[in-house]
Amino acid sequence: MKTAFVLLCSVSLVTISLAGEIVVQKIQGEVSVRQGVTEVWNRIAAGDVLRPDDTMKTGVKGSAVLLVRGESGEAKRITLPQEVIVDLSDIRDLTQEELMLKLTMEKVRSSSYQWKNNELQIPRAAVVHGGNVTSPEGPAQNDPAVGVFRLNGTRVLFENGFYSTCALKSMEVFRLYPALGRKFENRLLVAEALGKARLRGEALNEYGSLLTLDGLSPDQQDLVKARMAELKR
Amino acid sequence: MNPGFRILIILGMVMLGSATYGQSLIFPRAIGMGAYGSSVKDSRAFTANPAGLVNIRDWDFSTATYTGVSTTDRGFVFHGLTFGKRFLDREALAFQYAPGTSLTLTVPPTLSIGGSNTPVSNDREITYEEPFAIGFGHAFSGTLSVGILGRLQRQKVMDTQFEIMVRDTTVYPVTSKVSYEAHAWLGDAGISWNASERFVIAVVGRNLIRLGETLLPDAVAEYRLSPTTSVELSGAYIASADLRLVGGLATDASGALGCEWTPGYGLAFRGAVYGDQNETPFLYAVGLSAGWSYEFLEVDASYLRFTSQEGRSGVINAAEFDPRKITNIDLNPYSRDRISFSIRAMFGNVRESLARIESVEMYSAVYPSSFEVFAYRPIGKARVRNISAKPIQARASIFVEKFMDMPTESQAVTIPPGGVADIELNAVFNDRVKDVAAMTIRDASVYANATPAEVYDDRAPARITFRGKNDWDGSVESLRFFVQPDDPDVLRASRDMLLQSRDAKTGSGSEPDAFIRARTLINAFAGQLMYVSDPKQSADFVQYPAETLRLRGGDCDDMSVCFASLLSSIGISTAFVDVVPPGAPERSHIYLLFDTGLDPKFGASISDNPKRYVVRKNREGMETIWIPVETTVAARGFDEAWTGGAQRYFDDVEVGLGLAKRWVRIVDIN
Repeated sequence: MKTAFVLLCSVSLVTISLAGEIVVQKIQGEVSVRQGVTEVWNRIAAGDVLRPDDTMKTGVKGSAVLLVRGESGEAKRITLPQEVIVDLSDIRDLTQEELMLKLTMEKVRSSSYQWKNNELQIPRAAVVHGGNVTSPEGPAQNDPAVGVFRLNGTRVLFENGFYSTCALKSMEVFRLYPALGRKFENRLLVAEALGKARLRGEALNEYGSLLTLDGLSPDQQDLVKARMAELKR
Repeated sequence: MNPGFRILIILGMVMLGSATYGQSLIFPRAIGMGAYGSSVKDSRAFTANPAGLVNIRDWDFSTATYTGVSTTDRGFVFHGLTFGKRFLDREALAFQYAPGTSLTLTVPPTLSIGGSNTPVSNDREITYEEPFAIGFGHAFSGTLSVGILGRLQRQKVMDTQFEIMVRDTTVYPVTSKVSYEAHAWLGDAGISWNASERFVIAVVGRNLIRLGETLLPDAVAEYRLSPTTSVELSGAYIASADLRLVGGLATDASGALGCEWTPGYGLAFRGAVYGDQNETPFLYAVGLSAGWSYEFLEVDASYLRFTSQEGRSGVINAAEFDPRKITNIDLNPYSRDRISFSIRAMFGNVRESLARIESVEMYSAVYPSSFEVFAYRPIGKARVRNISAKPIQARASIFVEKFMDMPTESQAVTIPPGGVADIELNAVFNDRVKDVAAMTIRDASVYANATPAEVYDDRAPARITFRGKNDWDGSVESLRFFVQPDDPDVLRASRDMLLQSRDAKTGSGSEPDAFIRARTLINAFAGQLMYVSDPKQSADFVQYPAETLRLRGGDCDDMSVCFASLLSSIGISTAFVDVVPPGAPERSHIYLLFDTGLDPKFGASISDNPKRYVVRKNREGMETIWIPVETTVAARGFDEAWTGGAQRYFDDVEVGLGLAKRWVRIVDIN
């Protein structure tokens, strides 16, 4: 039973295709890593072995080369240019089904249990009284520079063929940094990633929503239309 | 072949050779059908099988009369009357007064004296009668019922004695009457079994008990009846909705075959033949009957004709008379042709049933923590059949004494004639369910009724399991019912802690208020609550938050419930994260998310690392930042609980894709 469970877990991990081992092959300038869900960035050196739940960051004029070895043993070299933040858990291939499920979850976002129609539902009051009117000053917005770093990270994913995680991570960044999600080139990246991930319908939807952005130039519009025509072929 | 049916047939065959088929001749329906034991449905002729009394709906009254057809008969004779009453749903009682159940035989005088002054009389007059009977029926289920019966049997012999008197020189005889009497209470028992929708089988044991028995004196011992124990087997086959075939067998190879045809309009026609290997010819009688019913009244008439009239004159030869041939006062070698009439009336709850419950299935036990859901989610279903000839609107109801104030009725379902429908049962329980400390099983009653009726057409028993108040079915949807933010202990605990910590607020000024309060609360309880396994070492035991506070600890579900209650009590929305790893349900785990109310674009005010929080919609549909909390390590403080929760969420949801693959679920509580 125990063996079966271990085998099942192994099969599950292979399906997810997470990187088996990630080694820092070369670094230049300021490069740091943050482990798991901690908040502290630590400097790293060439030869360090990273974990899949780590996050890497390169500073100004910093760069790093990672050697990613898959479960099957094949190695892939990934170069991180300057000013990127990459979650190493995104360096993986998702199946089309997994991507579709994740996209659905992204759209729904609230994945919670929904009250069934035939169950007891007590209507909530439309007006909520009793809120705290003495709340302190408003919180500070997320640092846009960090958002750019993270978006740069998604480009690294795109360039290295991790289109699924590129699209998903971009959407997450847009949620945290809404201003970035209003930029044409950033949204184009998502649409292209979806297209490359062979999710034609999703890509077309994304291109379609691009056309609704304010201030699109005629060239940008033509580009989107051309891509859509290409996808429809 | 059904094993029970096989056993009954074997039993009947083994018993062959000891008694006579016991037919009651009071009522035309019984006469017209012959083997009546499997067809008793009311108080009429219930002596054929008292188990059939359970078919009485409420009050039942019937009376009958008959007349002989020969010129020597004296016109109509009051045969008897019966009363029946159903009570306690499953029981029925009936009483019969039948002066007409009587056999009178005369033995001609053996002394003949001529002359005008000579008195003339019969030598002996023998009367056998069963004037009183009382029966009781009990239904064990919708298909099996039993009954017992007591009959008072009387034997009377009127003997004419002569005495030679001498007065002066004249010698003359003087007659005087001497009467002898004996009686006994005889006990019978019967079983009626609906083996299937089409077959009914009945077994009746006769003369099983004799009470208060007295015997005729030796002077008239040759007329003494000695009832012997016997068994009768009968069966009915419902060939179609309007045709019923019956057959019966007694233990001396006598018996009867009959049928009843009900073409509609309240009419019924019946016919039967009676056979006995001791009679000549073998088919010794034919019975014909017709009846008509309307509303609560039913009238019947019958004609019984014996194929041979020999020995049926009422006069017997003393030398040839054999009382052992009389095993039934009504039907025996001395019975005579007759025409009978009867009237039956029903009173009280006599409405014709439209629906019948075929089966009841309960889906689940009742968990006191979530008993309210059964008001809207079915607790079971009843399979109801339309037994009428027209479409009906059927409803089912369920009632559990003590735990319900009144039966909960389902939605109406239309069922075509003869059709079957599954009607789901909802149940509105009262608050007493919360007091169930340990698992208990209670009897429930399921009722079916059909329009236009206002009363129940049928009732079926059911069993419901009530789990203990701390029992949990393992479903995270149910776990939320343990969360009690309005519990006074919870409210007091959360407010006390916030008050005690009001001066210890730490963190940046930009942190949202909900986040600070949650952190303060969890930190305050850090030294007071700790992770311990279920006291019952059972995964389906959950403590209410007040219990966890009192016991100062619990396992993951207890702690999640407790912290969810505490956070909710100060207005913070919470959700359970339910993790059931694929292939390893024994490693299931639950932890908590709470809503900071913060827009995701302000996430950095809580943490620079987005892996430490979750962006999801709250109940208002707004995307906000939620904090995962591993409640089992809350004893070590908020930061560890947060880090633990965030790491688990990241591993389960982001790396393992658990949410997308549905082995991780998030269930909102508030």
